[in-house]
Amino acid sequence: MRARIQLGRFSTTLILAWVAALCPALAIDYLRDIKPVFKERCQSCHGALKQQAGLRLDTAARLLAGGKDGVVVVPGKPDASRLIDRLTTSDVHERMPLEAAPLQPQQIAAIREWILAGAPVPPDEKGEEDPLEHWSFRRIERPPMPEIGEVAHPVDRFLVAKHREKKLRTAPEAERTLLLRRLYLDLMGLPPTAEQLSDERAYEDIVDELLASSHHGERWARHWMDVWRYSDWYGLGDQLRNSQKHLWHWRDWIVESLNEDKGYDRMIEEMIAADELAPGDADAVRATGFLARNYYLFNRTTWLDDTLEHTGKAFLGLTLNCAKCHDHKYDPIEMVDYYNLRAVFEPHQVRLDPVPGVIDFEKNGIPRVFDDHPDAETFLHVRGDPANPDKTIKITPAVPAVFAAFAPPLEPVALPLGEWAPATRKTFQEDHLAAARAKVEATGKDLERALAKAGAGGAPVAKAADPAKEVALAEAARDVAVAELAHLEAVIAADTAALAKPDEALACAASQREAEMLAARAKSDLLKLGPDGDTKKVKAAEEALAVAEKKLAAKDADYTPLRGAKKALETPEHKEDTYGPSFSPTSTGRRLMFAKWITSRENPLAARVAVNQVWMRHFGEPLVETIFDFGRQAPRPEHLELLDWLAVEFMESGWSFKHLHRLLVTSQAYRRCSSNAGMDPATLAADPVNRFYWRANPRRMESQVVRDSLLHLAGELDVSMGGPSVPPNGSSKRRGIYFTHSRDEEDKFLTMFDNADILQCYRRPESIVPQQALALANAAISLDASGKIAARVHAARPGADRGAFVDGVFMILLGRFPEGDERNACLDYWTEMDSLESVKATRDPEATIRSRLVHAVLNHNDFVTVR
Amino acid sequence: MEFFVHSGVAPGSPFARSLHRREFLHRAGLGFGGLALHAMLARDGFGATGAESAYLPPSGRPQFTPKAKSVIWLFMRGGVSHMESFDPKPALNRYADKSISETPFASVLDPEKRKKVRVVVVNDANGQQRTKIYPLQTGFKRYGKSGIEVSDWFPHIGSCVDDLAVIRSMWTTDDNHGAQVQFHSGRHMLDPRVPTIGAWVKYGLGTLNENLPQFINMGPRFFDPRDGHYLGPAYDAVKLKVDPKNPLDYAQPEIALDANEQKLGFDLVSRLNRLNQSRYPGDAGLDARIKSYELAYRMQMAVPETIDFSKESEATKNLYGLDQDETRLFGEQLLAARRFVERGVRFIQIMHGDGAAGAWDQHSKLKAEHSKLAMQVDRPIAGLLKDLKQRGLLEETLVVFGTEFGRTPGSQGADGRDHHPYGFSVWMAGGGIKGGIVHGATDELGFHAVESPHYVTDLHATLLHQMGLHAHHLEVPGHKRLEVDFGEVIREIV
Repeated sequence: MRARIQLGRFSTTLILAWVAALCPALAIDYLRDIKPVFKERCQSCHGALKQQAGLRLDTAARLLAGGKDGVVVVPGKPDASRLIDRLTTSDVHERMPLEAAPLQPQQIAAIREWILAGAPVPPDEKGEEDPLEHWSFRRIERPPMPEIGEVAHPVDRFLVAKHREKKLRTAPEAERTLLLRRLYLDLMGLPPTAEQLSDERAYEDIVDELLASSHHGERWARHWMDVWRYSDWYGLGDQLRNSQKHLWHWRDWIVESLNEDKGYDRMIEEMIAADELAPGDADAVRATGFLARNYYLFNRTTWLDDTLEHTGKAFLGLTLNCAKCHDHKYDPIEMVDYYNLRAVFEPHQVRLDPVPGVIDFEKNGIPRVFDDHPDAETFLHVRGDPANPDKTIKITPAVPAVFAAFAPPLEPVALPLGEWAPATRKTFQEDHLAAARAKVEATGKDLERALAKAGAGGAPVAKAADPAKEVALAEAARDVAVAELAHLEAVIAADTAALAKPDEALACAASQREAEMLAARAKSDLLKLGPDGDTKKVKAAEEALAVAEKKLAAKDADYTPLRGAKKALETPEHKEDTYGPSFSPTSTGRRLMFAKWITSRENPLAARVAVNQVWMRHFGEPLVETIFDFGRQAPRPEHLELLDWLAVEFMESGWSFKHLHRLLVTSQAYRRCSSNAGMDPATLAADPVNRFYWRANPRRMESQVVRDSLLHLAGELDVSMGGPSVPPNGSSKRRGIYFTHSRDEEDKFLTMFDNADILQCYRRPESIVPQQALALANAAISLDASGKIAARVHAARPGADRGAFVDGVFMILLGRFPEGDERNACLDYWTEMDSLESVKATRDPEATIRSRLVHAVLNHNDFVTVR
Repeated sequence: MEFFVHSGVAPGSPFARSLHRREFLHRAGLGFGGLALHAMLARDGFGATGAESAYLPPSGRPQFTPKAKSVIWLFMRGGVSHMESFDPKPALNRYADKSISETPFASVLDPEKRKKVRVVVVNDANGQQRTKIYPLQTGFKRYGKSGIEVSDWFPHIGSCVDDLAVIRSMWTTDDNHGAQVQFHSGRHMLDPRVPTIGAWVKYGLGTLNENLPQFINMGPRFFDPRDGHYLGPAYDAVKLKVDPKNPLDYAQPEIALDANEQKLGFDLVSRLNRLNQSRYPGDAGLDARIKSYELAYRMQMAVPETIDFSKESEATKNLYGLDQDETRLFGEQLLAARRFVERGVRFIQIMHGDGAAGAWDQHSKLKAEHSKLAMQVDRPIAGLLKDLKQRGLLEETLVVFGTEFGRTPGSQGADGRDHHPYGFSVWMAGGGIKGGIVHGATDELGFHAVESPHYVTDLHATLLHQMGLHAHHLEVPGHKRLEVDFGEVIREIV
């Protein structure tokens, strides 16, 4: 302790200077000791991104030049240098870096030392690049394709050029059957059958056939559902808190869009603004489930934060969320930009629109967004605190300023009647009228039956306990139904008229019918309760009757209009009738403007981000490692020219995913085998991590693919498409994409294999944990599939010997024949199984062993691997 | 699960040394989820030569000499009333039925002092401050040499009080049941999800027994079924039930399968996978899968054996309350926990109290329900502490008793208390924690933590410290942790 106090009497600088003098190797080196500190701690405000006080610290020369308040470093005199003052002052409002931990004492000591030594400037020091020169912020241009004599495929020309430059040897093409298995799994998410494995058509023809299959849309929809955070609704008990009911409509839209090869640009526009792009198009509006998924009952700011964060990450590869509380530290996105973007979404709310033929929104409805509050204001939240809005800063709906050059104009959209007054939709009215008429008919029949029972007509049937009461009850029920129908007709008439001009007479009629309906209901309730009924309920019914009779007498024009959509509650205190029956007849056009900006040919990010996502799923590794962050933290990718070429090709093909898939999977790079065996040692040494794609990367199947493959190979897969989410953990044999997937409901088997995280899943993890082995070894689905697969393989060649059966199993499960030792291992196993009592005791021991053998091979590493 | 521990290639073999850590990662085709592999390979020395990344995952060994090897983490879902468990407040009886503003302690309601709470459910029926003082619903007694007061609902825990460090000054910021998430991760429900304390322990420390999962959860969960989050699903707790027939998902064949057949099948898979290694040399994914498959097989044996109590004496079983219906379920989980600790499992997380909100959530009927719930846990917990002690395990096993938040000094309705995040109690025992002490205090009404207040992550930091880990050293690239995530070690109790 004492020693420390004594040391403290000397300045750290003196000690350092002394040490440096004794030991020249320890002398301060600006590039080694100081520049990295400035880069890490200072440059986000004093660099290329921002130049607070006109000062930049990205080169020593610029530091020495000082800022608008003059020099901050006096060479040779650290104590006279304001830089040191500002780094060391105890005034936290003055101390740099602001609102952050101070520099470490040894870092400050090093800076002092450097200044003391005269602040030597290294020659040719490079400063920070202009943020807009960052590789992903520059317009995407099609780069020239390398000329490689015999290589024709564009993807291969870019890669082979690098292989030649780096002297890398490439792996040979994978065995055809392994390649076909890879192709089927990648394009359809289902392995090929034995017949498909022996398909001798040209590879390209098979590619086209798979891309045309409706299973292709299901396969790739699941990928995009990961990225776009698909989640069915969840909450607490019956209370909906997150996402929306019937969100599967959006899932079906994704599947259908991919199958019809809708352009990705159009998909983005529909997901963000279908209601403005194609008002009244009930198919397109399903796309806005993308936004409805972010619904959060309790906190609008959280809801919109999620919307912005994941719109940014999914479509733009921008971490917009980093600009919520302060200007972005690395990218040219300011806090104002964040709140301008929030303003784009501020007016929107979520509702369920009716589905023709269904009048109960609990049963069905299309979750969608609409601009509910066109005039809603947005304020910048000081330090991201919603309780602290800064009303002095003007927030306007806009895209980030640095990328505003290609923003389309903001134009409000006039909506057709059925959009803003959904109760006026003919189908909606007809569905309600039909239901009311059906009720009249049904209650009429009930009444007839009651009368018959009472012996009032026809042959006497079993006597009711109290026939008169039964008749009275049936009569009351029929009266209710009749009154409801009359009311519905009157309301529709009044509502329809009111669209042009409120009609007093029709409104009065609707009010009267409403009163009659309420009275009929109250009378029916009273009759049902009887004189001895629950006193509370009797009282309530009596009160309801009194209210109805009063209304009847008042002859007013107050009636309740029909509600044609179910708006999601804005906060938990609201009730459904807090909101009016119709909405704003114009939409602000903000979301459409934003969506069209994303899909502009000038946008440098959208196509690059999408191509990278698709590439990663075919090649196992992305071209840009940081898949949701293409900002300045993302270093220039090794294969930028390839990425850009593909991005331009993608956009020019009409943003066609099928075109992109075809391009990627027909390359040699895709078709290579995934083994190092026999590879050139120099290549292995030079590129052990396969950055240059000289071989294929093995990948683990996603959870859904594992399960779907088991069912498919067993001949059990239910291939019906679309519709409401299927309860998980039951007996359904539908594809995994159709299972309910939310925070609270998830299929157990799927969770074992890294199921999609509903909060953020830009890339599925590929863990390898023992639970996966337990699931494949012990789950009923795997044990059951084993027997069925064995039977199918056996049935294909019933007379074949054991060796041939083993061959068949390897081919169907692993996409290749066994090698000698592998076949022998299986035959040894067969012999050992032969002698087991439990096997002998079965009805058909050979069949038992065949089933168990399949079960073992299902647990082979290469079954769950896309080789 | 530590199948990576020796990942197919013998550590130190020339092959292993020649391979770069990142190469392994890439070969495994593991991206984000490959973190596990990344960490584990480095732990095995594969990564030691890789200088291209400044990031070094934890070595899997404690960073300094640890006091504890394992943690038993007991979490009461809902909020246990601190005033009726470990923080007696006689003032509540003195001022019963008075409004807080009529007492000398009216300043506790000062909005400034209550600012730290971040409301999730605006104007919810629950989570409100209740101002009419509700008297204590149970009495207190002094126990042990330390004479620390414990309520009459927890007499058995009271009898162990000389082993406990009671912390009476906890606070959190969620006034609703998202506090369950916060107590485990340190982050509010409205913040992004981050790994929980159990996941960090798993990340930081290697396993002591390769045949068992290292991080186990028993009992109900709700608000967040995951633990690993950005560390990956390999860091989620393995869900376990004290049911020897079906202790964890897929532990036994769902369709009957003869054990001998199973063994032959297992041997065949191992043989085929090993043969595949010559086809795909240096394929880390394949190597890891072989290990994980073998571990799965051993786990399938080891887990049922661990939860088989047939070799436990009647006296031991009774100690945990296995002889009574009320205490059996929780008692079995605690006895299983002791057996897992004996076998080297690092972190056993036990949740008590069903329902979405958690059973300990007495907005009404506090006396009837709290006393019933206390009875379910009191004897088993005391039994656990005594059993660990008599076996010499308490010294190296840290037992934590926690809950979401406390309950309001004021009454909700006629006979309940509402959520109370401003001050509540937890305790720790064993694993080098000082026994028989009380640390921190709330004010006279039990409202605010006023003396040595601790946010929930201070508990995490203390726990990690006892396990020999620096909270600040548990980081992964690309996921910035905030200062508040790390907390500070509660020096007074260690």
